[in-house]
Amino acid sequence: MNFLSKEPLVQVKGLKTHFFTEEGVVKAVDGVDFEINPGETLGVVGESGCGKSVTSLSIMGLVESPPGKIVEGEINFQGTDLTKLSQKEMRKIRGNDISMIFQEPMTSLNPVYTIGNQISEAIMLHKKVNKEEAKRQSIEMLEKVGIPLPEQRVNEYPHQLSGGMRQRVMIAMSLSCDPQLLIADEPTTALDVTIQAQILELMNDLKESYGMAIMMITHDLGVIAEVSDRVAVMYAGKVVEYTDVETLFKDPEHPYTWGLMNSIPKLDQTVERLEAIPGSVPSPLNFPSGCKYNNRCPLATDKCREIEPELETISEGHQVRCWHYKELERLKNERAETAKIK
Amino acid sequence: MAANENLLEIKNLKKYFPVKAGVFKKTVGHVKAVDDISFAVKNGETLGLVGESGCGKSTTGRTILRLLEATAGEVIFDGKDVLAMDKKELRGIRKEMQIIFQDPYASLNPRMTVADIIGEPLDIHKLVSNKKERNEKVKDILEKVGLGEEYMNRYPHEFSGGQRQRIGVARALAVDPKLIIADEPVSALDVSIQAQVINLLQDLQNEFGLTFLFIAHDLSVVKHISDRVAVMYLGKIVEITDKEKLYEDPLHPYTQSLLSAIPVADPTAKKDRIILEGDVPSPVDPPSGCRFHPRCPKAFDKCSIEEPVFKDYGDGHFAACHLLEE
Repeated sequence: MNFLSKEPLVQVKGLKTHFFTEEGVVKAVDGVDFEINPGETLGVVGESGCGKSVTSLSIMGLVESPPGKIVEGEINFQGTDLTKLSQKEMRKIRGNDISMIFQEPMTSLNPVYTIGNQISEAIMLHKKVNKEEAKRQSIEMLEKVGIPLPEQRVNEYPHQLSGGMRQRVMIAMSLSCDPQLLIADEPTTALDVTIQAQILELMNDLKESYGMAIMMITHDLGVIAEVSDRVAVMYAGKVVEYTDVETLFKDPEHPYTWGLMNSIPKLDQTVERLEAIPGSVPSPLNFPSGCKYNNRCPLATDKCREIEPELETISEGHQVRCWHYKELERLKNERAETAKIK
Repeated sequence: MAANENLLEIKNLKKYFPVKAGVFKKTVGHVKAVDDISFAVKNGETLGLVGESGCGKSTTGRTILRLLEATAGEVIFDGKDVLAMDKKELRGIRKEMQIIFQDPYASLNPRMTVADIIGEPLDIHKLVSNKKERNEKVKDILEKVGLGEEYMNRYPHEFSGGQRQRIGVARALAVDPKLIIADEPVSALDVSIQAQVINLLQDLQNEFGLTFLFIAHDLSVVKHISDRVAVMYLGKIVEITDKEKLYEDPLHPYTQSLLSAIPVADPTAKKDRIILEGDVPSPVDPPSGCRFHPRCPKAFDKCSIEEPVFKDYGDGHFAACHLLEE
C-alpha cells in the first residue's frame, strides 16, 4: 500500500456545484475543499441538504446538467482536473478508477438483468476480456464479497436477493475493476443494524486487501467513528471541520460538530435529556448570511451574522470554519461542570 | 388507578397475513408477522419495542389499535378487551389510544391546513362545540408542541420534517389520550432534529402523564427514552426487561449481537463484535424450534427442535432461550 506517499489521490479545491432552478439558484455545494490520500478513508458527515451527496456526484461527473453545474473549483485526481474532462473521457475513469455505491441497492441495480450480467458489463467495459472471462471474474468477485454459492447466484436477478446481499453485489461490481477510489454514499443506511455490521466489516476487509481509498458519506456518527481515518463535517454546502477521526471525536472545535455529538443518545451513557440543536437545517435556497450556522449556534455574534469565516488551520491537520472556536472551550467546561454536579 | 397497574396488556397476540396464489386466490400459507406475543405496558411508563425490519414490531402496534384485525389473542386496555369491541365502543376507545407515524410526509393530508389536521379528531370525538372553541384548543396544542398559532392556516408542505412530526404529535395529543403508540417517530428525521422531537415527547409525557409504546429500530434512541424494552425477532418477543438490565446484562444471544452491532460514536472504543451470519429468515416459513437458531452463534441441537419458553429469569427479566434453562 502506498499509504505513506505524500501526493494525495484526490484533491478537491473550492468546489462549487450549483443548481439553477425556477425557484432560484440552489447552492448545494458552495466552496468545498478536502483531499483524500491513497488508501485512506475519508468520512463525510452531515445532515440532509448539506451537500455531501452532491460533492460525491461532482467527483463522479454525475451531476445532472441542466439544472446542475460545477461553477467553480477543481477536482484533481492523479494529476488530472476531472471538471475539465469531457463526458467520454470521464466514462473511462468512472467505474474504473473511481467507482461508487449508493444507499438503495435495489434502485441502483437493473431489475431485468441477472447480477452476473451487470457485473460482467462493468468488467467488459473497462478491461479487454471476453464474455466467459468476465463471467468467471464476476463469480470471483461475488465470492470475495461473501455471497454464498456464487456460481448459482451469478445467474439470479436482483429481486431474488435480500437487501444486504444486493449491497454486496453493488460492492462486487464497484470493485471489479480495482478502483483507486470507492465512493460510498450512505451504503448501510437502508440496512438493518446486524446487516450493517456485516457490510462495514466487509468494506474494511476489502479496503485492506485492495488498498483503495474510500470516501464514506453518511449521517451516522457511529459509522464515521468506525471506518474513517479523517473526517470532513459538512454544513450548508461547506466543510466546517476537517481533521483526523480521533481528534474530531475527542476535541471537536466547531460548535456544529460539538452540538451534533451532544445531541445523539449514547449506549454507554445515560442522560435525562438530550441536548438538541435548536432550529432546523436551513434550506439551500435560503441560506442565512454570514456563517451559515449562526442562527443555531450558541456562540454566534454580530460578526458571524455578517461575515462568513474561512476554513482555518488551527493545528497540524485540523481545520475549522468558525470565528469563535476558541470560546467553545468555555462551553465544554461549563458542560463538564454541570455533568459533575449531577 | 394505582401507579403500577398495567394500562395495556397483550395476551397471546397473533397476526397472520394470508399468502394467496393461483387463479382462485387460494390461501397457500401465512406470514406470521406477530406470532403469540404477550407483554404489558404499565401506566405512565415508556415501553420500547425494538427489532429489525420485518420482525413484526409495527404490526404489533397497529394490531393493538385495531388498524389491523388480530388473528387471535387479547388486547386489554384499561381493563377492557379492545379486540371484542364493536365499532361504536372502538371509536370511544380510540380517543384513549393514539398513534404517531414514522413518515411525517406521508401521514399528514397535504390538502388540509394544520388547524384542520389537529381539529379533525376534536370534531370526530365531539370534544368541541363550536369553531371558536376548536380554534382555541388547536392553538393550545400547537403551543404545547412548540409551534406558534401563526402556523394554524398553513399546509403540511410549508413545514420541515421536524415541524411536521410536531404536527403529528399534536394531532395525537389533541384528544387527550392515555396511550400513544409511536411507530419510529424519529427515524426519518435529521440527527439534530431527532433530539428535539425526543425531548418534546418526554416533556409531554411528564406534563400529561402519558404512556408510550415506543417502536423503533435504533437501540440508542430506545435506550434513552424507555423505562423497559422488549426485543422482537421474527414475530416473537425474545427478551423484555428494564432498560438498564437489557443494556448491561442482555440474556438472549440475539439481544447480545444486536447491541454489539451498533456502531459507537467513539473511534477509540474497541469492542468484541458478534457479527451474525446471514439474513433474517422469511416469516412465511420461519425456522423450527427457536426462530433465531440458524443465525445464533450459540445454538445447539435442542434449539432447532424445541421452541424455548418465554419465562421470567428474575425481577421481571423475561427471555426465551434454551441456554438459560441449562
